[in-house]
Amino acid sequence: MTPSDNTEAAAPGGLPAMAERPRRDILAVVVRFQSLIGLALVLAGGVAFSPVRRGTLLFLTPDNVANIIRAVSETGIIALGMTFVIITGGIDLSVGALICLCSVLTATLLVDGGWGVLPTLAAVLAAGTLFGMAQGVISTRFRLEAFIVTLAGLQIARGLALVISHNQYINISYGEGAGLAPPAFAVLGTRLFGNVVPVATLVFLALAAVATVVLNTTRFGRYVFAVGGNERASRLSGIPVGRVRIAVYGLTGFMSAAAGIVHAGQFSFGSPNDGAGYELTAIAAVVIGGTSLFGGAGTMVGTIAGSIMLGALANILQLNNISAALQLLATGAIIVLAAVLQAIVGRRDGSGR
Amino acid sequence: MSTTRTLTAAALLTLPLLAGGVAAKPLAKACGPNDKYVIGFSQANFAEPYRQHVNNDLTARVKAIPQFELQIADAAGNDNTQVSQVENFMTQGVDLLLISPFEAAPLTPVVSRVFQSGVPVIELDRRTLGSNRTAFVGGDNTKIAYEAGAYTAKTLLPGGGQVAVLEGLPSSTPAIERLNGFKDGVKQNPGITVVAEQAADWLPDKGQTVFAAMLQAHPDIQVVYASNDLMASGAYLAAKGAGKEKQVKVIGTDGLPGPSGGIASVASGQWAATFIYPTGAAEALDLAKKILLDCAESVPAVVTVPTEAVTPDNAKELNAKLKF
Repeated sequence: MTPSDNTEAAAPGGLPAMAERPRRDILAVVVRFQSLIGLALVLAGGVAFSPVRRGTLLFLTPDNVANIIRAVSETGIIALGMTFVIITGGIDLSVGALICLCSVLTATLLVDGGWGVLPTLAAVLAAGTLFGMAQGVISTRFRLEAFIVTLAGLQIARGLALVISHNQYINISYGEGAGLAPPAFAVLGTRLFGNVVPVATLVFLALAAVATVVLNTTRFGRYVFAVGGNERASRLSGIPVGRVRIAVYGLTGFMSAAAGIVHAGQFSFGSPNDGAGYELTAIAAVVIGGTSLFGGAGTMVGTIAGSIMLGALANILQLNNISAALQLLATGAIIVLAAVLQAIVGRRDGSGR
Repeated sequence: MSTTRTLTAAALLTLPLLAGGVAAKPLAKACGPNDKYVIGFSQANFAEPYRQHVNNDLTARVKAIPQFELQIADAAGNDNTQVSQVENFMTQGVDLLLISPFEAAPLTPVVSRVFQSGVPVIELDRRTLGSNRTAFVGGDNTKIAYEAGAYTAKTLLPGGGQVAVLEGLPSSTPAIERLNGFKDGVKQNPGITVVAEQAADWLPDKGQTVFAAMLQAHPDIQVVYASNDLMASGAYLAAKGAGKEKQVKVIGTDGLPGPSGGIASVASGQWAATFIYPTGAAEALDLAKKILLDCAESVPAVVTVPTEAVTPDNAKELNAKLKF
């Protein structure tokens, strides 16, 4: 999936290539900030069409805003990891199944294993990360398409979830003693700040902040852009391409584990059937956020805005009692629009991105 | 703000206990026969034919109550979506929440939150955990399957014989209840042996594959009990494929109406019987009327809707009556 032309734009981050064209026109600006503009439009639409009760715009009530972000917290968290992978020109289809595996694992360790909260969190995060890294290793060592490797990963994660759970859902009940989870874990299902903001919302926002900093300010972040922009040039300039690739899959594994823990926590539940299709929602959020599936270009802020935009769209449609079918149609149209805008700018710039 | 609401709700709940027999409050915060009310219905999954049938039944019946507006949301078999829909209903300020939770535990906190905010909650067909609800309306899976078993024992195989069971998704409560209920029912006739029981996950194609394999292993199966109508259709196709559609009597569960439903299959003579799993729509709307229009101070906590056996005797008549 990596473009083989354009060997000169080798600098990490791809920024020098942009600097050569100081006169970026409006279209390019629109594309760069497409998801933020899209989010602003959806929010404006939300305000315009919000039902009003007792003089209050329901869409803008603190409860509702917190609920929107809670609803997208799990897919949002995996979209953060997915952004790294897609910027390197890869893809990770295993994330939805991995959320499921990690939520089942969390529930099993807490309920049947009698583990404490911290050991469970550490074990699940490590398991998710290792699962992701294993996919990265197989993909780089054997030069296999990430699509195939992670498709296999999806099946394996779902299969392991079925095995671990014995094809049963696991209710997490809290208390002391055998078969009960430590009450501290229940915090993930609660709301803070006057019982308004769900903890799941806060976890997503915190991870989003960390992911933004890592992608934008660290050397690892620059390597990710470089590997996706031009793999050969990156190799020549001494970037450990293989290790970067393995690391990004480790990162999606970590994020999937975090989302799986949030899932188990906010629903007190682990089911081997959960998380199906989440990978596609996450990829949609990343694409709407302006990250190119060809790699080398993208923003974390865009992904975050893309995730929240999908949630806000679903919310305003339901507040107005409009059917879910329209929501799918609108999401599809937005994805196409985002991709078309990118293609137009990419073709004009001749970078193929 | 919501803290005060919770406190008020808590006060409302404890008041009757503290005050003993002193006048109880109506279950709804606002009620009376002349206002308009919005009922939000969060349905677990539109894609299941039974649930579509429930939606149709509710929609048709609510038209007869001019004070009610019914809003139905599809959770599409996803707990997260359903939680979010219930939150949205709460934001909208619906007057009554009607819900068929996709899974019990994940929906429990949000449904409890709605209930504690003072909005009456009627759970339909499936319950959440605990008791934060106004009422539950549903069929009794164990009893329905028991009746199917008894029908097999007495009417279909009075002389005994081999029986197979197609189970629903093994992790789901109705699958377990229907399996056990049926096995209890056939025990009435000691000549009957259950030679095969396997999960087909409620799906027709899986029902066909699984039952075809069962027929290979046990060529003398005379009755197959499918825990829903869809798997029963699959079982019938498998029996037909093996040329044994005369030998094998198919029993479904749910009793769905319409040209591809179980009632039509019994009417056409393909199946031996199906047992109606009631929608509970009429009963749920009756409760809603009591709570919102009549300002009821209490309603029954559990309303169990009885089943009805669909056999060749009544299938044609029922098929003509239940048109959606």
